[in-house]
Amino acid sequence: MTKRWIGASVVTLTFLASPALAQAQDSDAAVAVTDGEAALVQPIAFPHTIHAGVDQIDCQYCHFSAERSVDAGIPPVGTCMGCHQIIGGTDERQQAEIQKLRDYSANQESIPWIRIYKVADHVHFPHLRHVAAEVDCATCHGPVEEMMVIEEVNQPLAMGWCVSCHMERGVSRDCAVCHY
Amino acid sequence: MTDGLKRRDFLKVLGASGAGAGVLGCSTENVERLMPYVVPPEDITPGVATWYTTVCGECEAGCGMWVRTREGRVVKVEGNPEHPVSQGALCSRGHSSLQALYNPDRFTGPMLREGGQLQPISWDDAEQMVAERLSSAGGYYLFTGFAGSSLAGLMSDFAGATDGQVVRYDPLAEAPLREASRIAFGRDVVPWYDLEEARFLVSFGADFLESWLSPVRDGRGFSRMSGVDEEGGKGGFTFVGSRLSLTGQNADDWVPIQPGTEALVALAMANVVSGGGTSAGPYRSIVATYTPENVADATGVEAESIRELAERFADGPSLALGPGVAGLHRGATAANVAVAVLNSVAGNVGRTVHYDAPQLDAPSAGFAPMQQAITAMGAGDVGAVLVHGSNPSYALPASSGFREAFGSVPFKVSFASSMDETAAEADLILPDRHFLESWGDMASRPGQWTVRQPAMRPVPHFDSKQTGDVLLSVATRMGLGLGSETFYDHLRGRWADFAATAGATDADAFWHESLRAGLAQVGTTPSGATETLRQPDRGLVFDPPAFDGPGDLHLMVYPSARYGDGALNANRPWLQELPDPVSKITWHSWVEMHPNRAEALGLRDGDVVVLSTEHGSVEAPVWTYPGIREDVIALPMGGGHTNAGRFADGNGVNALDLLPSEVEPLSGGLVHFVTKVDVTSTGRRRPLASISGSDSQSNRPIAPAVALAGLGAEAEGAEEEHGPLRELQGVGGFVPVETEGRPEDFPLEGSRYGEYGDEEEPRWAMTIDLDKCTGCSACVTACQAENNVPWVGEGQVTMGRDMGWIRLERYYEAVDASHAGPLDVRFLPMICQHCGNAPCEPVCPVFATYHTPDGINTQVYNRCVGTRYCLNNCPYKVRVYNWYTFTDEEPVREGLGHVPEPLNWQLNPDVTVRENGIMEKCSFCIHRIRAHQDRAAVEGSTITDGQIIPACQQSCPAEAIVFGNIRDPGSRVAQSAGGERAYRVLDELVNTQPAVTYLKKVTFHEVESEEH
Repeated sequence: MTKRWIGASVVTLTFLASPALAQAQDSDAAVAVTDGEAALVQPIAFPHTIHAGVDQIDCQYCHFSAERSVDAGIPPVGTCMGCHQIIGGTDERQQAEIQKLRDYSANQESIPWIRIYKVADHVHFPHLRHVAAEVDCATCHGPVEEMMVIEEVNQPLAMGWCVSCHMERGVSRDCAVCHY
Repeated sequence: MTDGLKRRDFLKVLGASGAGAGVLGCSTENVERLMPYVVPPEDITPGVATWYTTVCGECEAGCGMWVRTREGRVVKVEGNPEHPVSQGALCSRGHSSLQALYNPDRFTGPMLREGGQLQPISWDDAEQMVAERLSSAGGYYLFTGFAGSSLAGLMSDFAGATDGQVVRYDPLAEAPLREASRIAFGRDVVPWYDLEEARFLVSFGADFLESWLSPVRDGRGFSRMSGVDEEGGKGGFTFVGSRLSLTGQNADDWVPIQPGTEALVALAMANVVSGGGTSAGPYRSIVATYTPENVADATGVEAESIRELAERFADGPSLALGPGVAGLHRGATAANVAVAVLNSVAGNVGRTVHYDAPQLDAPSAGFAPMQQAITAMGAGDVGAVLVHGSNPSYALPASSGFREAFGSVPFKVSFASSMDETAAEADLILPDRHFLESWGDMASRPGQWTVRQPAMRPVPHFDSKQTGDVLLSVATRMGLGLGSETFYDHLRGRWADFAATAGATDADAFWHESLRAGLAQVGTTPSGATETLRQPDRGLVFDPPAFDGPGDLHLMVYPSARYGDGALNANRPWLQELPDPVSKITWHSWVEMHPNRAEALGLRDGDVVVLSTEHGSVEAPVWTYPGIREDVIALPMGGGHTNAGRFADGNGVNALDLLPSEVEPLSGGLVHFVTKVDVTSTGRRRPLASISGSDSQSNRPIAPAVALAGLGAEAEGAEEEHGPLRELQGVGGFVPVETEGRPEDFPLEGSRYGEYGDEEEPRWAMTIDLDKCTGCSACVTACQAENNVPWVGEGQVTMGRDMGWIRLERYYEAVDASHAGPLDVRFLPMICQHCGNAPCEPVCPVFATYHTPDGINTQVYNRCVGTRYCLNNCPYKVRVYNWYTFTDEEPVREGLGHVPEPLNWQLNPDVTVRENGIMEKCSFCIHRIRAHQDRAAVEGSTITDGQIIPACQQSCPAEAIVFGNIRDPGSRVAQSAGGERAYRVLDELVNTQPAVTYLKKVTFHEVESEEH
């Protein structure tokens, strides 16, 4: 209910409205979003295509708290380094990106990822409950294994979209299940 | 961009076109970042709370705490259910400690005064400076409050090694009580009182439910003693004193004595109990002198009343408490001795009061050593002063001369973590950590120890250091070794000794188990020994003390039920805006005066008067109060700060300005109740920032009572009959119409405002036992902390826009200050009643409020458009409206509520933060319900009765609140709501069918018949 969510929502909406998004996908660059002037770039060009696609790493290996918390969890830098201590990348571009990761780790710094998915502050989305109900991650997050750059798919995280799924599955669509 | 974009504009844009929002543009400022951990902490799961045990640092009681942290931030403190002091509950002051942890006025780092201004200095330089100055000071003082056991020990080691002297000062010191224990039984202790074991209490002005010794533990003991038990019995409580405190308001009878005559009443009671003194041992001849008849004139209490009281007391097991601060007059020690004698002759020692297992951490030497220090400082004999955990510039009467003497000391160091009146005079400031960031320990009583552990890393905005570590570092720089490198090592060293004492083979395991449990038993806690009265060998004078000054108005300066003395905790908006449990006034000070006296002086509520004594004068508005004798004027402590931070400064007056700086000769305690006062009207008026609507129920059964004798009489009676039901469903919900529906039909099938689910679905409900509720208001602050309820500021409260989700209503039924007799003050915590037939629902044009299938009348914030129709239609006035956004970092307008960084770190991430234009109210802590439901669904378990505990119930020292599923006939809430005393507020008027059931208060006297 604070202005912050409004800001975040505007960003979200802009993702969908902007024609620049399509270009971003094509160019295989780390551009997440642009409004024509300021380009917002993820700090590391993290390819879900390789991690979730080629390597088929389970979502919850990195998003470690989805089944036991309301938050899915963003992997700690240490989790990334668990593999990338060894794996340095095959081509120069990969090596450059992995080097960024190693630098963050060496400097004991957090990686300032740009948040893509955010429901408004007055909405409570417990991941654990949806994981327990065997809702596939892709239902909301799309085929991330095909995404070079994560973007919102399927829905604008709007209530109608949530409710339609709840209705299909015959689960509660009482307001106070999510809003309190 | 968003700064100029208001919520409604945003909705408008959205309404016009989904993609239209894009035209508003975007910038990098709006991007939210996700900052992962570098190395994952083992004990943190994002989105899941982690709990730590610790011990509260707000007062000497030492309540065991559970600290709730989220992602490494402390967001809530609660009582540790396993702890013998808190027993799971916590008071308002304990809850408000979060606002000290995140207080925006904390020092950002060590500071040195240069050219009158405080400038940052490095810890290294600062410690070096202290070491050098102490080495050359030629003796110094270390002033301290209660510091916790290990730190106190380290301080005295440090002072011993460096030619310093530790002076512990606390304005509410129990020096007379300790001295009386020594005189009476040869034990220099503050005894341990066991209220729960008693069946009859007499308090001689001891405010044990609010400020005396251990309010949470005593609150629990009191409610267990005075609540109706299964056999229909109930313990009694008589309050003997000149003014009714909150504790006094909870009494069944009030004996309004002449100021300063506690000793006479106690001795006269002892006289009756001991058969004229025959069983009073060495006090035989003294007790024999004070017959009820002999003291009747001086005390203003009829002999017959004292006799009845004494006979009831003799019936036992009983307990006499006090005198508290109200008894801190020139005869304070004698009055305490008289009470000890009374307990002794009634056989209570070793039964309800224990001298062999006292409160350990309570002792303090009173005022006398401080007075010597003031003299020495004034004479220029003191080279340096260190001040820790106390604020003597504020908490000593101005007449003590402390400020001037302190100002003349060449080197003054303060360990205050935020500015206070004493730190404002200091040359060097070495900010201590908050207790939630610190190591330490406290003993509750012999054998029972609690570790204080940091529940989070120090708040990064403030470069603080634990005083223990500073002292050790300074000692090293002075070439001294105190045996430990760090305070943590020092603490572990002591706990290794404890482990040995406790017979533990593995000291580390003992330590970790103590951290986990929040309590360690070290040795045994003795109990049950009786004590023998000793010869009254010092010149005890039991006769009433003299009061200075002309006239007949005795000035009583009493510790606030919210702040205590208020020296260190006033800069917290939660406490400032918590309505005082007695007066219901927030933010400012007030002068308590009997209505008859006010009328005689031509004064009424809100008239600003000047109170003056020969020591000073203060100006405050009048609040008329029937619970005070006509010859007494009372003023609470805790106001009048001049340099304590943005939320405290300028609110009210410092009552200590009116007091002399006089020592009670026997104990060395400061006397509080010693002077008369002159009242002059200024002719001006000011509105009281009060939440009190009416002191009277006006014959409406809002908080009814039932006489003890009448209990059980109606149990076999016919079904309750009531007249035609009316409900607020006519003309769009605004007009009551008769209905033929039966109560259990609501909400009606097909209701547009929600229906209850089938039998499988719970129906959440609550019962509140008014016989147990003491009005202490712990629930109010607990709710505020849990639910991100904003504070609004004095001006808004004055306009009736306070936003507490719980309003503790207080009604006078029988309050008579003219003679001893029955007392009846009713407390009623009013929250959203979660009506089954809620008048708020049909009037909402946007369906923002409706019923959930599990019985909660819910408020959907994102639907609410702020028409306030629901507020207007609520018969209980429990809905509150955000007239402004009170949760921004900056106030919308000066004086309005706001949440400056880092106070916002406290916000509960599980609860939506509201902004202006939104209606809100009690949610039954729905986020806690949902969290348990989520967990149960994931684990495949079922929710058991008592598992879901709302914040108010969790915090209640009196165990007055029960929450649960009323559809489960075996649940505690169903059992209690089906009891004989159950009723629902205003139910018959408008057929609201509330989910909140109250249990009537039980009185010893007959109750007026118009009540149901």
